[in-house]
This record gives sequence, C-alpha cells and structure tokens, in this order.
Amino acid sequence: MVNPSLLIGLPLAFAFSIPLFGLISKKIEKYIPIIALFINMVISFMLIPQILKKPIVVSIGGWSPPFCINLVVGPLGILLATLISGIGFLVSIYAVSYIKEEPTEKYHILFLLLMVGAIGIVLTGDIFNLFVFFEILCISSYALVAYYKDKEGTEAAMKYLIQGSVGSSFILIGVALLYGFFGTLNMADIASRITSANPTYLFITLAFLITGFGIEAAIFPLNAWLPDAHSSAPSSISAILSGIAIKTGVYGVARMVYTIFNANSILLFIAFLGLLTLLIGEMCAFRQDDIKRLLAYSSIGQIGLIIFALGIATSLGVFASLFQIVSHALAKALLFLAAGYMIYRVGSKSIASLNGLGKKMPLTSFAFTIGSFSLIGLPPFAGFVSKLSIVYAAMQVKKPVFLAFIAIALIATIIEAGYFFKIVQNLYFKEGKNLDKITESSGYILIPIAILAILIIVIGVHPQFITGLLKASARELLERAGYIGWVLGGT
Amino acid sequence: MQLITILVVSFLGAGIVYLTGKFSGRVRDISAVLVSLAVVILVGLAYNQKIYTNFYSLPFLNLSLSLRLNYLSWFFAIIVAGIGFLSILFSLEYIKDYQGVGFYYFMMLFVNAGMLGIVLSADFLSFYIFWEMMSWGTYLLISYKGGKAVAAGLKYIIMSVAGSLAMLFAIVSLYASYGTLKFSSLASLLQIASPGYILFLLLMFVVGFGVKNAIWTLHTWLPDAHAEAVSPFSAVLTGVLVRMGMYGFLLIMYSIVGLSLLHKLGYGLLNFNYILCWIGAITIVIPTFTALLQNDSKRLLAWHGIGQGGYMVLGIGVATSLGIAGGILHTLNYAVCGALLFFVVGAIEHRTGGVRDLNELGGLIKRMPVTFIAGLAGISGLIGVPLTNSFVSKWMIYKTLIMENYPFLAFAAFIGTWGTILSVYKFLHNIFLGQLPEKYKDVKEVPLTMQIPMILLSLAIILFGILPGIPLKVISGIEKSFGVEPLSTTMFGMPKEIGELNLINILAVLLVAGIVVYLIFSLSAKSRRVNQDDNYAAGLFVPRGKYQYSARFYDQAYRIIGPYLHDVVDDFYYWLVGKSKSSFQIVRQIYTGNINTYALYILLFLTLLIFVKLGWGL
Amino acid sequence: MIIKVISIIVLPLIALIIGFFFLGLSRKVIARIHRRYGPPISQPLIDVIKLINQESISHGKLFDMGVILSLAGSVILVLFIPFGGIAPLATSGDLLVIIYLMLLAPLGVALSGGEAANPNVSIGISRKMMLALGYEVPFLFSLLAVMTWYKTTSLVEVVKAQQSFLWAIFYLPLPAVAYFMILPAMLGIRPFDIVSAPQEIASGTAVEYGGRYLALTTIQHAFHIFIDIALFVNLFLGGGNLLTFFVKMLVVFLLGLFINAVFPRLRIDQAIKYCWKWPAILALVGLIIARII
Repeated sequence: MVNPSLLIGLPLAFAFSIPLFGLISKKIEKYIPIIALFINMVISFMLIPQILKKPIVVSIGGWSPPFCINLVVGPLGILLATLISGIGFLVSIYAVSYIKEEPTEKYHILFLLLMVGAIGIVLTGDIFNLFVFFEILCISSYALVAYYKDKEGTEAAMKYLIQGSVGSSFILIGVALLYGFFGTLNMADIASRITSANPTYLFITLAFLITGFGIEAAIFPLNAWLPDAHSSAPSSISAILSGIAIKTGVYGVARMVYTIFNANSILLFIAFLGLLTLLIGEMCAFRQDDIKRLLAYSSIGQIGLIIFALGIATSLGVFASLFQIVSHALAKALLFLAAGYMIYRVGSKSIASLNGLGKKMPLTSFAFTIGSFSLIGLPPFAGFVSKLSIVYAAMQVKKPVFLAFIAIALIATIIEAGYFFKIVQNLYFKEGKNLDKITESSGYILIPIAILAILIIVIGVHPQFITGLLKASARELLERAGYIGWVLGGT
Repeated sequence: MQLITILVVSFLGAGIVYLTGKFSGRVRDISAVLVSLAVVILVGLAYNQKIYTNFYSLPFLNLSLSLRLNYLSWFFAIIVAGIGFLSILFSLEYIKDYQGVGFYYFMMLFVNAGMLGIVLSADFLSFYIFWEMMSWGTYLLISYKGGKAVAAGLKYIIMSVAGSLAMLFAIVSLYASYGTLKFSSLASLLQIASPGYILFLLLMFVVGFGVKNAIWTLHTWLPDAHAEAVSPFSAVLTGVLVRMGMYGFLLIMYSIVGLSLLHKLGYGLLNFNYILCWIGAITIVIPTFTALLQNDSKRLLAWHGIGQGGYMVLGIGVATSLGIAGGILHTLNYAVCGALLFFVVGAIEHRTGGVRDLNELGGLIKRMPVTFIAGLAGISGLIGVPLTNSFVSKWMIYKTLIMENYPFLAFAAFIGTWGTILSVYKFLHNIFLGQLPEKYKDVKEVPLTMQIPMILLSLAIILFGILPGIPLKVISGIEKSFGVEPLSTTMFGMPKEIGELNLINILAVLLVAGIVVYLIFSLSAKSRRVNQDDNYAAGLFVPRGKYQYSARFYDQAYRIIGPYLHDVVDDFYYWLVGKSKSSFQIVRQIYTGNINTYALYILLFLTLLIFVKLGWGL
Repeated sequence: MIIKVISIIVLPLIALIIGFFFLGLSRKVIARIHRRYGPPISQPLIDVIKLINQESISHGKLFDMGVILSLAGSVILVLFIPFGGIAPLATSGDLLVIIYLMLLAPLGVALSGGEAANPNVSIGISRKMMLALGYEVPFLFSLLAVMTWYKTTSLVEVVKAQQSFLWAIFYLPLPAVAYFMILPAMLGIRPFDIVSAPQEIASGTAVEYGGRYLALTTIQHAFHIFIDIALFVNLFLGGGNLLTFFVKMLVVFLLGLFINAVFPRLRIDQAIKYCWKWPAILALVGLIIARII
C-alpha cells in the first residue's frame, strides 16, 4: 500500500531539491516538476481503486484522530488530487519550453509549491492545516502572477495579494472561532459536534469561512482579482490558476458548507450566488478583446455554474458540479495553454491578432476549438455531459425556483457561445496579417495540449471512465456521517 | 446492427476521407463520393424494415441511447443520403480551387452523418447529441468561405444554440418527469399529461425546431447563411438540413404527442394547430414576397426556402390526413427543387467567377443549355407547375385547407405561389434569357460531374410530378405510424373520394395537344433562324450586350409592396443584441480596477451574508 | 368512352370558334363605339390563315417551344372547364388544377419571348407578371368564396349545385362583381392592355413574333377569352346547356366590352392598385360572408 502522504511529501521534497539539482546542471531543473508530478499522478491513480473500496485516513505523529494532524483521503480528495497532479504534470511539460525568462529555477520551485498547497488542501483532515496549505497555494501564486516582473503583472499580483490576504485572514478568523467553540481543529471532530454550538455564532463563523474561500473560489463579488491575475500571469500559470487553484476554493466552500456545518439552509443562497457569478462572468467575457482576460472571465462564469450546481444539493447536483469541475479544468487548462502559445507566436493578446492562425498552427487551433466547444457544452465533448448533468440535476429537484435558475443559466450559455464561436471563426475563417513567419508549436507545447484535447473527447464519448469516482465523491460530501465515521471510527 | 453500420460508415467515412486527403487529393475526392454513395445504398437497403437497437448507455444518468428505423426515419434518411451524395458529386469540380478542401469534405460528410443520426435516433438524448453535432458542423461549413460568411455563420449558430437550449430544456424536463427519453415510451406516458405541460413542451420544441425550419420570427439566420455558404452546401442546407426542423415537428407533434392530444390543446380557434397554421401562412407570404425584392440569386432562393417551409408547416398544421401527407410530400419535393436550384446557381457561379448578382447576368441559355433546363425544371417544381412534383403536394395542401373551411389560409398559400412565380421567373430570366453580355461570350457548359446531379434532380421533379404514388406510399406508412388514418392514393394522383386529380390524364392530353400544335406549327410556313440580337425595336437602336432589361425587374410592384416587407424581426434581433452588448458594458464596470472598491465588495459580501441570515433567518 | 373522346376533340374546336367570334366581335363593337365601320367579324380568322403562310424569324429552340407550350396549355385547359354540361376531363382535375393550368400559357410566352434579346419583350413580360399579381388577388378571393360556399373544389359540382337552385351570383354577388371587374385585366384588353401596348413597347411580348408565331399566339388569345369567360359563367351564372351557356358568355363579354372600351389605358402601377382596391375588397368581403354563413 502506498502512503497518500507521499502525494504531498514528494512534490515538497522535489521543490526544495531543485536548487541542488541546479548545482549539477541548469538543464535538469526544468524536468524536476515533470518527474515529481508524474510520480504523484501515478500514485494517485494507483490509490483510486483502493480508496473507492475504503477511504484512507493517515495519522501523523502516532496519535489517533482527533488528537493528531491527519490526512483524510476519500474519493473527493483523491479525485481532486488526481486532477491536480494530472494537470500539473501536463502544464510542467508545457513549461519546459514555454518558460524561458529567468529565474526559471524560482518558477519551478514556486510551481511545485503551488501543487503542494493544492494537493494539501484537498487531502488534509485538519482545518488549520487546510489554512496553512491554502496559504502555501496563495503565496506561491501571488509570486507566480508577478513572474514576468512587468507593470501589469506586478499590479495584478498586488491586487491579488491584498484581496487574497483579506480572504486568508477571514479564514483564519473562522478557524479561530471554531477552535474557540469546540477546542479542536479536526474537521471530522468539529463536524460531529457542530449541533452543540449556538447557531448564530456558528453562522457568523461560516460567513467568514465562505467569504474567505469564496475569494479564492471567485464567487461574485469576491472575484475582482481574478481577471487581472489570470490574464497577466504566464499562460502556464493561468492554466493552473483557472484549472485548479480556483477549484480548491470551491472545495473549501463545499467542505465547510456540507461536511462541517451541514448548512442546508444556505444552499439556495449559494445556488443564487453561483447563478449571479455565471451571468456576470459571461457578460463581462463577451465584451473582452484580450483573449486571456476573456478566458479569465469565462472561468468566472464556469465557476458560477459549478457553484450553482453545488447549491442544488442533491446527489446528482453535487455529482454534476464535480463533473463540471473536471471538464472545466481540462478545457480551461487547454485553452490557456493553446492561447498562451498563440500569443507567444503572434506577440499580441488581442483576439483580432489570432485571425487566420488556423492555417498556420493547425493542431493548436484545432485543440483550442475542441476546448471552446467543450466549454459551450457541445457534444461529443466532456462539457456536454457535465452541462447536461447540471441541467438534469436542477430540473430533478422539481422546484420552480431552480427551473427559473436553470433557464437563466441556459441563457448565459448563449452569451458564452457568442464569444467562443467568434474566436473559432477568427482562427479559421478570417484573413490574418503578417502570418508568414508563424509556425506550428513545438513538441513540448503540443503534447500537453493534445493530451488534454484527447481527454476531453474521451470523457465526452465515454463518461463512465470517471463517473464512478464522481458519484463516490458526491456521496462523500452529502453523507457527512460517513466522513465522520472514517476519521473518528464507528459509523 | 444495420443502423449502427449506417452511422459508423458515415462518421468513420468522413474521417477516412479527411485522412486520405493528406496523401492524395484525387483519392480523397473519389473516396468522398464512394462514402456518400455507400450511405445511399445502405439506407436504401433498409427500406421497409422496422429496427430498434440500443447502442450505448450512460448508467450514471440511467439512460441508454438507441436507434430505430421506421417509415418516418427512412423517408428522411433517404432524402438526406440522396441529396448528400449529389452535392458531394457536384462539389468535385466546384470546390477544387478552394482552400481546405479536405476540411470541406470532412464537414460535409460529418454533417450528413449527423443528420442521419438525428433521423435514426430512438430517444431524445441521442437525438439531441446528433442535433448539436449537426449544428456546429453546419456553423463551420457556413463560415467556410470567409468574408461575409463569417458573420452569417455566427448569426446562424447563435440562433441555433438558442433554439437547441430551448429544446434541451424540454428534453431534460421530460426526463425529470417521466424517467425515460425513449420516443415510444414517452408517446404512451404523455397521454395522461396535463394539457398545460404538453403546451409547454410543444412551445419549447417549436422554438428549437422552428429555428432550423426557419418559421417566421425565427427565420432571420437563413438568408445570410444560404447566400454565403458554398453552393453545394447551400443545397444541403435548404434541401435537408433546414428540414430537420420539419422532421422534429412531425416527431414531436404526431409521433409522440399524437393527434388526439393535440386537438385538446386550446379553446376554439385559439388552439395549437390553428396558430401553427397561421405561423405557416405568414412564413409563406412574407418571405416569398421578400424574395421578389432580391437581386442576389442565392438570397432569392434562400427566401423561397423559408417560404416553402411555410407550406410544410401549414400542411402538417391542418392535421388532416391529406394535409399531413401534403406537408411531408412537400418536404421531399422542395428538397429536390431547392437543391437543384442551388446547384444551378453553383454552376453559374462556377463558370462566371462567382457572379450572383442577377443584374449582371443574362442570356446564358445558349452557353449553358443543360443548366438552363435544370433551372427551368427547378423553378417549375418550385412554382408547382402541373406535372412537376410540388404541384401534387401543394394541391393536397390547398385541397385540405378549402375542405376544412380555412379559406384565408388557402389564400395565403395561393398568393404565396404567385409571389413565387414572379420571383423565380425573374431568376430564370435574368440568368438565362435576354441579352448575353459580352464578357460571358466564352462561357462553357459545366463539366459532367456537375451536370449529373442536376439532370438526376430534374428527372426526379418530373418523375414525382407524374407518379406521386411512389413517395405517397411511404407517406401513408408514416401516417399509419402516427395513428392518423392513412391516405389512400393511386399511382398517378388521388382516388375519387379525395378529389379530382389524375396526372397521367393531364400528361396524356398535354402531350396530344402539344403534338397537334406542333404539327400545325411545323406545317406552317418555315421560319428563318436569326441571331439573338437581330431585333425589331420600332425603329429604335438596341445597343448590343448592354441592354439586358433586368435591374428592378418588377419596379412598379417593388414600389407598392417594398415598404411593407422590411424585415422587422431581423431589426428587432439586432436591436436586442445591441442593447445586450451595451448592458454588458455596464455590467463590466463592476470591475473598476480599483482595489479599494474590491475590498469594499468583500466587506459588503460578508455583511450581506450575515445580514441575510439574521434578517431572513435562512 | 367514345363520347368522351369525341368531346375531347370537339370541345377545343367549339372553344376556338367562340373565341374567334368574340375576337372579331370585339373589333367590330369597338369600331362602332369609335364611330368607325370596323373589319368583318371573321377578320381575326383570316389574319391567322394569312399569318400561317407567311415567313417568320426564329431566335432558337425555346422561342419555338414556348409558343407551342403556351397554346397546348390553353387547349387542355378547355377540357377541364365544363361547357354546357360537357366536361371530358373534369374527374382528372378540379378548380385547383385549372388555376395552375392557367399558368402554362403565360409561362410559355414568357420563355419564348425571353430567348430573343429584345428589351421590349422583357418589359412586356415583367408587366404581364405584375398585372397578374394584381388581378390574382381578387381572382383567388372570388374563387375561394365559391369553393367555400359550395364546400367543393370541383367545378362540375359547383355547376350542379347552381342548376338545382339559384345561381351563385345571387348568393355571392360581391365576388361575382369583383371577377367581372378584373375580367379585362385577365384578358389584357382595355384599359389593361399594358402588356401589349403597341405604342409604348412595340406590342411587348409579341414584338418578335411574325408569321406562324403570331398565328399561334392569336389562336391562344382566342382560347384565353373563351376560358376566362366560360369560367365566369360556370362559377357564377350556373352553367347551362350548350345554347344558354353561349348566350351567357356573349352577354358577359359584351357587357365587359361596353364598359371598358371607353377607358384610356392605365399605367401598370395604377392597374395593380386598382386590382388591389375595389375588386379585392369586394371579393374579400364576399369571402368573409361565404366563410361565416
């Protein structure tokens, strides 16, 4: 049996060993994240069947929960960990040829740390550890956003830093309050005793935590940092931020609302927030001329859809929400990677400058098309199945309010279709200027893009590859007694 | 298995054609023709069979995807396959000078495969999946030519997506209510549903299918799309792709909801079918008269595509045995005429360097006689001149409207035909008749691979015009499956109890009369063959090559009807888009770029959250 | 069966004779109104025989075929319209078929004229089309009123129903008046001779015709007069036996001639507006009445 703590330990160790490898040769450095994340990915794949049978709880320090720091690796944790290491692995391949500006060493260290933070968040069973990993993720992403050291990046990172810090402090306040109420930091332990506290105080705690995680999850109106940060970061980092980092925020919100607080009464409000986020994200994206900002706003929209589905609160709703997380992670990572390299080739971020690239960079453009079709929700791509599940989940609860919500969500899809279809036309059917010297992307760029595109099609055609895991993860969120039982024993 | 083979051949075939194109253009062209021909044969072999298969399942949603074959799906499948094959054949010469020919063939075959998937689906999920694949494939193909086509493609896909989402809404609601999406199960489950729910479903589907079938108020994408797409694809668009909406109407209205339930929807004249009939009637009148004002040959035909769709909707809307049969038959008939006319335009474009402006052409009858005959057959079919195919279907629609006491609907249908006559005659005259401009003196007839599709379709127009019993036999099978009393027909027309129509007699007397007149003609004093330009002009000089009377051919009529034909619906959509864009711009101002505001948002959110809790006790 | 075959042969001949009679009569009557003596009534027939023997010019195959189609279309149309109880092909086509068969003649002429590159022909065709669009509106309203009233599309049934009781003109006076008002437009005679205006466009569609072409179009015109008036008699005046049918036709024709001979020629837009105004409104009101009652 493989110890799940390796999933966090390995990348951490590799991260700090990068300077050491750097001593041997500068060239090796950039391959270290690939190796680390590949191992991580393999481990998490190996763990999946095991965890589907029985979740693994790892206690660190010899004591048994709730008196120790522990990792709770349930289906949800391993699902997200696999997703994170998988996408991280692909992005690190991309970075080999994409990241050329010095100091590359620091880039790779920060990148691995970001991965450590993300994986830590989804695996830990301790709320303070959750906060710590969250900080690791945030701080490394602040630094990475400003990696190019240009004015735009620095400003974006600064804004991100300020808002992120507010969020972090809110989380910390929440954690402190919880510790004050229950005297424990173990999430399962808090969850099992949640009814013993005063509901009003408890709600205020929840409000702090939701706001805190909501900032990272980019819920409206807490998402103002996102368009700046995602668009001015290096594209590989944008892919990670959009594909993974904001999902950890969603995970935080979901864990708090479902597992710890069991706050069913607030779910409708969450669904409403999701809808609002969706609408505003898509509307703003529609008006963008900068491809990366457009993708960033589109991420806001998609997060809105995910949060909306989360708020439906049926097993199918949560399932659909998780499915959307996966399909959006794949598609958005693909879009940022592909767009990033197109920007690199044409030297401009404006959408109009992508005109005619379909003939010059056929594979990259083709992959971009697949990614955008998947986001719109067209068959036979992954986005279709996840969107269909969301619509079905919303209809299945048979409440008029959700009927109205989903109708509005579908209207937002039209807006989304509006801008993505326009970009695809720009790529293929418009005449570009000064395209003579532009050539197809190189291997290190194409491999991750191609793999993501293939994954989108494969999942779209045969969703059963992941639905088992998704179903189990949804059950983990909805059946909190089960989660408590894994950690504390008993039923 | 047979159905799966059809779909596998058509989808895989598309991929294979694309791959062969990487090695050799010639092999690609041949394989594209072979694949589309193979599909025609496979579909043809499946005639008169009833098949049902599950081909895939989605256990997490508890759904299975299935296919079925019955008369309805076979009827549409053979049209799709047939027109698809002919347009691929036509494309061989037409498309060879374009860029991205491999992509073109791939998308043509892919869209065809998608349409076959639609008509063969046995449940709404597979239906929707194939529907969407067809839709985005179409979007790529419409945009293929670049330039103006880009805007046309975008307009199409936005409207199409809006329609599809309305449909998706209804489909998922069906699944949430009944736990199945199989057509056959839904047909029986819906019989006990409340009329309000049925009406909601029908409305959603009407929006979805109406966008494709371009019923009035949802039609605005069509003229642009048809005009800007490459001509062989315009033929597919107008002939079969748009008619997928027709298939959808038939499916939801008669196959699933059923006639008895439809009659219960509404009070008196305000019932679903009657309103649908009126939409059909408006769809006939406004677009056919708008076509009259067009000077672009493809736009002119495109507007007729909308107008003829109105006849189909009107036919099935009346919901009599005769009307439904007429509507379905008209679908076939229009597919033949519409595709043929777009081929004709394509042929003209091919030989004149892409000229579509009717005012610039003229006199091509001497240079392109085969194309002219095809064009004549096409417009005759479109008008419904007796002994051409549409005559029968239009006759059926008129007849049922009059017998059911809907004279105003019948008037709309009749006057639509007069609008058609005027505009298609202008089409034919301005391209083929009158003076031949100097620049087209050396134009040649199109190559054989372009002639063959045109000749075959022209023959089909005559064949179905004299022997309507052939398609009507299949159509009675369709009606039987709808639970409608099937129409009894004879090979050459209608039996006595339905009405007086015997085409073989009409053909016989016309032939006899023609021969008699011809004898008189040839026994009279002979005539001398003179040059086209050797004209009598009452002593005036007619300048050669410059005096084609075609610009504003019906000027006086334009002045009278023109002001009423402004496309207000299109204006409304543009207004809507404009307004949405400016409101999005306002929404965008939320992100001010100022960190102070952002911090304020965060605090406001926290307060709001707490306030909502304390205030409402959520 | 034999009677049928005989009537198929005889009916066009009768129609032809009546048509030529009306053609000659109209010239005579108009001349008398103009205080001239006028040609003999047989003049049109004499003209045709003369024309057949004259040499002419041809612009091509379609030029020939169009004229033939036009005449053949008119000939077979005669067979579908009951004449004094004879209607050999009534079971093969109803009023809907008749409406559509009426297309063949103008289509033939238009195609034929189109092959000549004479702009006057094109103008003539475009005028013919527009004029047709004008008079078709009241024409269709009138026909629909009759069909709705009698709940049938068969012309034979319509006639039968009238013979058993009152003529349709008493039930449906407005559509009948409307039809009568547009009759000159359908026949292309004054004040609606816009299509063939000799002084403006050198006879329009007929400008390139000489010899046998002009002969055939004249014959076609004779048929055309017969068809339009016979249709009116069948629809509104209850048909009749051979004699009464002819008398009714004569009355309708002369009435129309007297009223219209004194008007000057209209412009095409005036003609369309005229057709869409009073005749259309009358016919529409008639149709509404027929639909409601």
